[in-house]
Amino acid sequence: MVKKLEFKSYKDMPIRAMTLSTMMWNLTGSWRNVRPYYDFKTSPCIAGCPTSENIQKYIYLVTEKRYEEAWSTIIESNPMPAITGRVCFHPCMSKCTRKDYDEPVNINAIERSLGDMGLDNPGWMTKVKGTESQKVAVVGSGPAGLSCAFYLARAGFTVTLFEMEKALGGVLRWGIPEYRLTNEVLDRVISSMLEAGPIEVKTGVEVGKEISLEELEKDFDAVFLGTGLTKSRSLGMDGEEGDGIEAGLSFLKKVNGGEKVDPGKRVVVIGGGNTAMDVARCAIRSGSEVTVVYRRTINEMPAIEEEIEEAEREGVKFHFLAAPLEIKRNGDSLTSVVFQKMELGKPDESGRRRPVAVEGETFEMEVDRMFSAIGEQADLEGIDGMLDCEWNLIKADQKMGQCSREKFYAGGDVVTGAASVVEAIAAGRKAAEKMIRGFRGQSEPEEIEDRIVGIDDMNIDYFTKVKQNRVPRIPSEEIKGTFREIKTGYTDELLEKEAERCFSCGVCNYCDNCWVFCPDVAIHRRENEYEIDLDYCKGCLICVEECPRNALSTREEGK
Amino acid sequence: MKKVIMGNHSVSHGVMASEVKVISAYPITPQTHIVELLSEMCGNGDIDAKFIKVESEHSAMAACVGASAAGSRAFTATSSQGLLLMHEMLHWAVGARLPIVLANVNRAVGPPWSIWTDQNDSLSQRDVGWLQIYCESNQETQDTIPQAFKIAEELQMPVMIVLDAFFLSHTYEIVDIITKEEVRKFLPEYKPEIKIDTKDPHSFGNLGGPDVYMELRYMIQEAMEKGIDVIKRVDKEFEEVFGRGYGLIQPYRCDDAETILVTSGTVSSTTRAVIDQMRDEGIKIGSLKIRVFRPFPFEEVFEVLSKAKKVAVIDRNISFGNGGIFYQEIKSALYGRTDIPIVGYIAGLGGRDITPSVIREIADKAIGDDKPERYINWIGVKK
Amino acid sequence: MKPAVMPLEELMGSGHLACQGCGATQAMRFALKVLGPETALVIPACCWAVIDGTFPHSAVNLPIYHTAFETAAVVASGLKAGLEMRGDTETTVMAWAGDGGTFDIGLQALSGAAERNDDIIYVCYDNEAYMNTGIQRSSSTPVGAWTTTTPVTNYKREPKKNMIDIMAAHSIPYIATASTAYPHDFMAKVKKAKSIRGTKYIQIFAPCPTGWKMAPELSVKSARDAVTSKVYPLLEITEHGQKLKVWKDFEPTSVRDYMKVQGRFRHLKDEEFDQIEKDVEMKWQRLVAKEKMLASIPGLIE
Ligand SMILES: Cc1ncc(C[n+]2csc(CCOP(=O)(O)OP(=O)(O)O)c2C)c(N)n1
Ligand code: SF4
Ligand code: SF4
Ligand SMILES: [Mg+2]
Repeated sequence: MVKKLEFKSYKDMPIRAMTLSTMMWNLTGSWRNVRPYYDFKTSPCIAGCPTSENIQKYIYLVTEKRYEEAWSTIIESNPMPAITGRVCFHPCMSKCTRKDYDEPVNINAIERSLGDMGLDNPGWMTKVKGTESQKVAVVGSGPAGLSCAFYLARAGFTVTLFEMEKALGGVLRWGIPEYRLTNEVLDRVISSMLEAGPIEVKTGVEVGKEISLEELEKDFDAVFLGTGLTKSRSLGMDGEEGDGIEAGLSFLKKVNGGEKVDPGKRVVVIGGGNTAMDVARCAIRSGSEVTVVYRRTINEMPAIEEEIEEAEREGVKFHFLAAPLEIKRNGDSLTSVVFQKMELGKPDESGRRRPVAVEGETFEMEVDRMFSAIGEQADLEGIDGMLDCEWNLIKADQKMGQCSREKFYAGGDVVTGAASVVEAIAAGRKAAEKMIRGFRGQSEPEEIEDRIVGIDDMNIDYFTKVKQNRVPRIPSEEIKGTFREIKTGYTDELLEKEAERCFSCGVCNYCDNCWVFCPDVAIHRRENEYEIDLDYCKGCLICVEECPRNALSTREEGK
Repeated sequence: MKKVIMGNHSVSHGVMASEVKVISAYPITPQTHIVELLSEMCGNGDIDAKFIKVESEHSAMAACVGASAAGSRAFTATSSQGLLLMHEMLHWAVGARLPIVLANVNRAVGPPWSIWTDQNDSLSQRDVGWLQIYCESNQETQDTIPQAFKIAEELQMPVMIVLDAFFLSHTYEIVDIITKEEVRKFLPEYKPEIKIDTKDPHSFGNLGGPDVYMELRYMIQEAMEKGIDVIKRVDKEFEEVFGRGYGLIQPYRCDDAETILVTSGTVSSTTRAVIDQMRDEGIKIGSLKIRVFRPFPFEEVFEVLSKAKKVAVIDRNISFGNGGIFYQEIKSALYGRTDIPIVGYIAGLGGRDITPSVIREIADKAIGDDKPERYINWIGVKK
Repeated sequence: MKPAVMPLEELMGSGHLACQGCGATQAMRFALKVLGPETALVIPACCWAVIDGTFPHSAVNLPIYHTAFETAAVVASGLKAGLEMRGDTETTVMAWAGDGGTFDIGLQALSGAAERNDDIIYVCYDNEAYMNTGIQRSSSTPVGAWTTTTPVTNYKREPKKNMIDIMAAHSIPYIATASTAYPHDFMAKVKKAKSIRGTKYIQIFAPCPTGWKMAPELSVKSARDAVTSKVYPLLEITEHGQKLKVWKDFEPTSVRDYMKVQGRFRHLKDEEFDQIEKDVEMKWQRLVAKEKMLASIPGLIE
């Protein structure tokens, strides 16, 4: 503490007014009515991410070229950024503040770059030994199962991963075409995850049929079911079983399995979801003319917008407000399909307007091949009865995955119905976390409500309009006959430029503004933080006002 | 080396010999020759100084304040209106305790415009806290400059040297010119400990509350009081080197004088001639020149005047509503210690000549009036 | 953490006596960060004479000379001369004065120093009134403003004095305007000024929340809005008045929005705002035209 100098006698004084000390004795903090404090809030992107990736943080780390830390940040909530970075429908980006300013940050592309860096740097993945006594069976190696197994193993628990197919990956392998997610990337991701901890893999084993849930219940301390949706929903039409008509999923499985298939010249795909888009785009790559027929309009299509755009770009035609009515054959072979014209009626329970037939209006389309992609269903054989099920899905707690029997957890599409990869990852992780807390006797964490900041909370004077950096890709003309990955990903330079676009909403990114503008030199700049010196802060609140990202709040003194 | 030079140039020579480092001035009659010669001296390298040719006297003093604060010896010269314009900064130099030396050529203040001598300009600066030394000859003027620096630097107080317009400033006299080399023996290089210095940073002159102001003012007065001895000592030191000394006051034939005329500036020489004449007539009269006006040499003055029967003070100035300023000072020096009558005479304002006959008139009046009614007597006013 | 956006060294410390949100204080901190410890300041009467603190204390760890209101420039000249004469040629001497001490009472001394081209930096922190004495008008007060000597019943009718043109008429080597909202610009200008010999004049727009009847947290915002609304253009005049550079790389904002958050303009009516907006635009156009004109004179600049 600097003391105020006082003179007892003039003899102690200099002969002229001349300073001998600083003003630090003058604790101007007493002038303050309101105090500022650092108070980080939730970036909307994070709130928008189903698995709550700390997007703001890893983008910030990218701006500092701290890639390994950035990658690790993702891994805390998503073990496969190389995959989500390719296939996620990125709801984070629809929440990004920049969307209300110019264009959202391409979080997805940044995530992919980091995911790829992780694959190229296997050393980044810390390897964990089985340190815990409990064992968990994870059934299904799709995104939910893999995620659950990964987080359990990372915590030192031994996992046995059951998969009915020969190869791991589930829907990632069988449902997503090469041009979006190559088998090579998938294999690398899976093997990196398996190496991370004690995971034993059992492929070609159908749980519920070859091994019963009772057995698992007996042998393991917990069981996670992430079996997904494996059965295609049928059209329910006469002649559906015959030649020329196939479930989209089985077609995709063949294509993804590397089988050479000729879908024929004129192909029609029924449906508006991601499977429909995948089927259409695979068919177009095999040289077919493809029309997607959907019973509602483009606005109601459940497929990712980008997928629809890509399909259109590649030459897929769309026919909306129509549904197959009658299959026509010449002998065994399919010749044409008659369609019923539809219109939109009242909204159904999903909130979408229900399609209704326009009486008497039909049309016919000549077709060599028709794929149905109107949805998939869970195969609950051996599960139903043991666990409570509803709507042909397993009934489980949506947040933690707890099922009706104590040791059982479930997550992913088998619980939610057709959803997304990232939601399945989140479900797998959360179930793992819940199990771990149970094993360790830890209490459930308190739920804190997110304070999400938006554009109105920010000081946009500090931002300038910069367009999103487009992801390099192979030209659309070159896609025919190849299943090459379309997007080649950001270069280092683009990655950095795109990361710079992030506003870091609600969270300090060390822009120094508060420190720069403090008239009272009351903000100390420390390593990775700032400190407000309340002895001197007069409470002007310039720091709060000038923080571009609302990382400070105020509180009245004495309250 | 002896030369016949004008009073103004004797100032310049004094400045050159004192090795002043920064000069800042603004021209005004009758001071102009001082700065003209100094400009020349700076130009031809006779003196190693920076001459800041400012746009006003206020700035001249302000520039000296800056230069002196930086630790360099600073000088300016002015007169009358110029000195009055400086007023604010004269205070500043005192409060800041800066040893600036200023030569003021006494000139009457307008309106009407007057370029001729009287002392109202410098005497109206009486209370700012500058030491004031009134000179009588060109030699004394020159010699007083290095003395002034030595006094100023020791006391950390500014010193004003005063000389009469024209009667001294423009009058040529023989002067034994002093040189830098000689002066160095008397006046050491100026190296203040406290100054504007980035290696020892202080803020000077910032806000001072009622808790400190009086003490700072007390110390200024203390310096002034100490000044009496310092001036005496410095004068002696000067005399040791140059063989000339001037003292605080200069009594002339006062030992047995019944009447003493008190003077300052060039009037002093004229008065001495009149004294000689009157002594020849057998009149016991003497004169006392006040050289140092601030600090006022109370004791020395008392010593001389207390032996007389009557004191007459000649003032080339007037404090309106009171009287002559020297007169007031003399009164206060004798107050309560004697009851000798003291009479004040106002003469020679605005350059009106104070001739021997004017002085004789004053002397006669002083001796004649046993009990003058008015203690302020105007001499030569056309009534 | 990224490297700091400005030098870490603090020559101005806490505990000073400035009001909450004082722009003049921010400006000082910025300037000192680039000038560094080999700097001496001259401060005349103005808020900064108080901000510095009370004898025997100072909030600034530099030699400072506090001087009379109208003498900042010339005391700086004298100081520089004095330093040089005692062998210190390195110290940068900066006069630091308010708009009153610059546009009004100190104009003469500043003109003198500029005409002599004395080697000083003169910074005028422009808060557009005599704040230290309680918010009286100065010739820098903008038209329309309330001050205690231009009450709302008789608000200031006269436009702000164009001090920049006055300084440009002195042909000094460097003139610039700045704003506390753009510290890096200001610091770059101070740095440039330090590297040039002769008289450098920088006028920084420094909001005074107290005198403008404005919430202190809006200090920086108003300093930014003044620039982007073209009320206070950021410019540089170099080559002894021959070259003018006006900063235009911003999204223009509304003059009215800038003024409306400040209580000193609260009494103005719509028509009066209209007129002020027109004047601002007209002056801006003239400034830009002048910039073009100067750039187009062939052979003027190599
Ligand atoms: C000769 C003189 N006249 C008047 C004053 C009173 N005075 C002190 S500061 C000031 C106003 C200063 O205004 P400005 O230069 O704009 O600085 P600010 O206070 O706004 O920071 C005035 C009028 C003074 N100190 N000296
Ligand atoms: S700007 Fe950055 S932190 Fe803010 S929402 Fe977008 S990505 Fe998230
Ligand atoms: S102003 Fe910048 S440094 Fe300060 S809290 Fe906000 S983001 Fe962090
Ligand atoms: Mg001001």
